[in-house]
Amino acid sequence: MKVVAGRVPVTIHVSALAVEDTMALGQHAQKIGADGILAITPYFWTPTREAIHDYFIRLCTSIELPVLSYNSPSYLAGVEITGDLMSRLIERLPNFVGVKEASFNSEKFLEISRVALSLRPNFALLTGVEFLLPSVPLGGVGSYSAAGSVCPNLCAALFEACMAGEWPRARDLQYKMTRLWHLFKDQYPSSLKGGMVIMGRPVGPTRPPLPTATKERQAFIEKELADMGVLESEPHGW
Amino acid sequence: MSVFEPVLEPVLEPGLVHTPVTPFTRDNRIDYDTFAKLIEFHIRSGADCLALPMHIGESVSLTDEEQRALLAFAIKQVNGRKPVIAHASDAGSAIAAERARHAQGIGVAAIVATTPYYWTPPPHMIIEHFAAIGSVVSIPFFVYNSPEEMPGSKVTAELCLKLIDRLPNFAGVVDLSLDWQFMIELLTYAKRKRPGFALIAGTEHMVSAAATGATGLFSPLAGVAPKLVRKLYDSCRKDQLVEARGAQEAVAALRQQLKSSGNLKAAQRMMGRDCGVPRPPLQAPDAEAARALAATLEPMLRDESRGF
Repeated sequence: MKVVAGRVPVTIHVSALAVEDTMALGQHAQKIGADGILAITPYFWTPTREAIHDYFIRLCTSIELPVLSYNSPSYLAGVEITGDLMSRLIERLPNFVGVKEASFNSEKFLEISRVALSLRPNFALLTGVEFLLPSVPLGGVGSYSAAGSVCPNLCAALFEACMAGEWPRARDLQYKMTRLWHLFKDQYPSSLKGGMVIMGRPVGPTRPPLPTATKERQAFIEKELADMGVLESEPHGW
Repeated sequence: MSVFEPVLEPVLEPGLVHTPVTPFTRDNRIDYDTFAKLIEFHIRSGADCLALPMHIGESVSLTDEEQRALLAFAIKQVNGRKPVIAHASDAGSAIAAERARHAQGIGVAAIVATTPYYWTPPPHMIIEHFAAIGSVVSIPFFVYNSPEEMPGSKVTAELCLKLIDRLPNFAGVVDLSLDWQFMIELLTYAKRKRPGFALIAGTEHMVSAAATGATGLFSPLAGVAPKLVRKLYDSCRKDQLVEARGAQEAVAALRQQLKSSGNLKAAQRMMGRDCGVPRPPLQAPDAEAARALAATLEPMLRDESRGF
């Protein structure tokens, strides 16, 4: 918060293994002046829909900050915020303002979008930058983008093309993003950090149990980034 | 050995593909008189192409002989006015391959096949299965990716890329996974290997598919709501993706009601296009469920035409 100093809004990811830690992080985020928080469905326990409902009620009524929920059924064994659950939460909670939607599925996204936007027209549907294009025509308004640490220009160009409805251009950029994503998703986020080293923005190793990109892996990443023209088209260094 | 010489990249742009149901008589035989009327209805109602008998046409409840006869009848009835895509899927690779070879012999424009039924094979077996079917024909070959119907056998982008290397006539994927990751990855890499490679939406969830670059649509709902489906498809093909959202929501709501063959046939009857009931083990909705379905559908289908 200090470094940003109000230049752009900051949302803080408060998802923790222990729900009690999540609650504490939410309080902390509010105290230090965050603009909002992001919280995933609880980890590990494969909670029922009612348990997910109660969790978000508890979290969202414990703070006044806007809350973005994080729906990731593909990572969390089917633990999912359905359209129906989304509508109950929106009706109950004035600060339940958006979702990072990571089902990456046309039918699920459309259903959430349909339900949420009818109840709260400015509800924010965000996805990962690697799937921005298919989300925007169905109501998506943006993305979280870890790839921005390696290729911010590409991320911005893709976002602008999508928002302007320049679909052929957006398609080309999205395909390019896929090639990069393919590179990073292998041992994510180790390879992303490896890419940052190549771009002159090293941020150190990845903590175990994740591996850190080896010299060989970094050489491979560098070659791929060169092939894709990323070394020329994206900024180097801090 | 193939009787046909494979040619490089045969081209078929399927466009909006109607996938008709198979009409049955009261004693469960194929009702060809009704089928003729149904084919005319589809051609008149905006089909760019027909594909049959798909799962919605109860392909898996038709004998091999019936599938061949049904296809031959359709080819004769269509009489070259639209391309016909033949569905050739089975548990055994050789059975599916023979059906595909027969289909090309009687003049279909392309073949579509899904992963083998029942076996839940690993990727290298799926590749062999598709290669066995695709390599006996020289017309375009499409893979039908339907993980919800075929759990346990996963068609990945990587598998498709290997299949491109194996089959010069592998022309595209009909996708029912609705999975953005699969669609984007497939098009990103497949188009670099084979520029004409096509992604075809396998259900009426067309907007996101079209955004990623899908150019075709297999539509079971076209038998019930051809106007609405055509509107959705045309908007998507013109890249009017944001504008297509209204039609997309309407079609999705309809699809929610009509996922099963039983309900789809009940809806066809309601629209004055009675094609009988599904063969066992599928069941038609009982009288009460059919009335409730009709009441739900009525306001959704006001703009669609009735009768054949």
